[in-house]
Amino acid sequence: MNRTIAFSAVFLLAAWAAFAVPADITYTEGDATLKLKNGKQQDAQIGDKMNTGDTLKTGSDGLAELSQAGVTVKISSGTVFTLMERDVNGKTQTVMSTALGSIKYKYGKLSGSEPAIRTNGAIAGVRGTEFTVFAGADGSSLITVDSGEVDVQSGGKTVQLTAAQGTEVPLGKPPGDPIPIKSDQIDYSKWNQDKLDSMLADPVGTMATLQDALDNYARDVADYYGQYLVSKKQLDEVVKTAAQIFKEKGQDEATKYQQEFYYPLTHQAGALVLNYRYNALAALSLRTYVTGRMYLALKARYILNPDDPVWTDFLGRYNAFLSTFEQSISPQLVDADI
Amino acid sequence: MQSPIRKLVGAAACAILLALSSCASLQHGWDQGSVTMVADLINSGKSAELASMSGSPFLVDGEVVPLKADVAGFWTGIVKAGYKVQGPQLGMTAPATPDSYKQFADTMEVRAFFKNYVKKDTRLLELKTSGGTTVLLLIKDSLFSKKIIQGFKGPF
Repeated sequence: MNRTIAFSAVFLLAAWAAFAVPADITYTEGDATLKLKNGKQQDAQIGDKMNTGDTLKTGSDGLAELSQAGVTVKISSGTVFTLMERDVNGKTQTVMSTALGSIKYKYGKLSGSEPAIRTNGAIAGVRGTEFTVFAGADGSSLITVDSGEVDVQSGGKTVQLTAAQGTEVPLGKPPGDPIPIKSDQIDYSKWNQDKLDSMLADPVGTMATLQDALDNYARDVADYYGQYLVSKKQLDEVVKTAAQIFKEKGQDEATKYQQEFYYPLTHQAGALVLNYRYNALAALSLRTYVTGRMYLALKARYILNPDDPVWTDFLGRYNAFLSTFEQSISPQLVDADI
Repeated sequence: MQSPIRKLVGAAACAILLALSSCASLQHGWDQGSVTMVADLINSGKSAELASMSGSPFLVDGEVVPLKADVAGFWTGIVKAGYKVQGPQLGMTAPATPDSYKQFADTMEVRAFFKNYVKKDTRLLELKTSGGTTVLLLIKDSLFSKKIIQGFKGPF
């Protein structure tokens, strides 16, 4: 039964994604790897297309540049960039996600339907033409604007940035007040190292923040998935009724019925699939690029002292986080996501 | 007095048994060599070499590590912490199968890692230390690939 639902959901998502605009890879240097939506990995090459669900990772010597519908995306070394999609008020919105590292965005011309920009801790609506997103090891973000305007949202608060302004967004917290800053004044390595150091100085506190963020994703996944199941049930009923109408009243009446009920419901179900998958993948990003990296760093630090209370306290929180993830998020992931 | 056919069958059976035992001892030699090599690299602090021999993605306990820099950071971290594998001995050995995920962690992610990235020629090798701890290694049994270490669990 679950398997049938999963297949149906994947089909709806595939139909939805057919309208997505791919990004062209226009430049690569050093280590740049493309992980495709189907799970396969390959070296990123100039001319490759990056589709929704694909992730581009640059190594410590890697750089890449993409172009999508008039947007130029410059990806720095040590960055993880994913092209995602979600539904907002019945419309599909492209979301450019930075899980780690830094990315500079440059818009040729604003169309009014710009992709949203997300990190593990914030989402930004673009009304600007040139800005940079920095994503830190602890899930926090720093957004700086070189020209135009950008609205940064997190924790129910929106901060509007104009040229030569920036804001820092700690994970799970609202954005800070705008500060005068330019992207070329930021030393990402130093900023990120500070984030990592403060995260490792308080592993239990950091895990509490990560758990809150995961719980939010889990709630959204459960909400959208629950709505999807209702929608799917309605869709099944409509299909049965359409077949009955076809049998009793003929093709024309069945087509009329389908147009009135089937297509809107398909649209609705597709949007719900898009959103529960979007939230599940966002949670996976948090789990992999923040929690997972923290585990590695602490494991190495305490490998000779496994009974140290800092490590054991951390492990307690970490295992609780994994348990939530396995129960609430993993069922909505597929093998290729890993 | 045995018939010539019986003698031939007997000789063939002996040859097969000999070949099988050679294969088994050859495999044992490979496995022994693999754990000794990893232990030596850890003990001599050669984290860069360990990183260059590690596949991507890499498995540490229940963590699927997608970034090469993080794998390198992990090896550097344990070497920097002073971790050594004292008196390394080969323990249990087995071919890795899709079900081997349970040896690392019973999660969807680790299950997908084994399904997606662990090939048939991969071995699960236990590295026993003189201190009584165990490290589980996931090693690709390949002559042609340098990236042979795919996973590390422990010490436990």
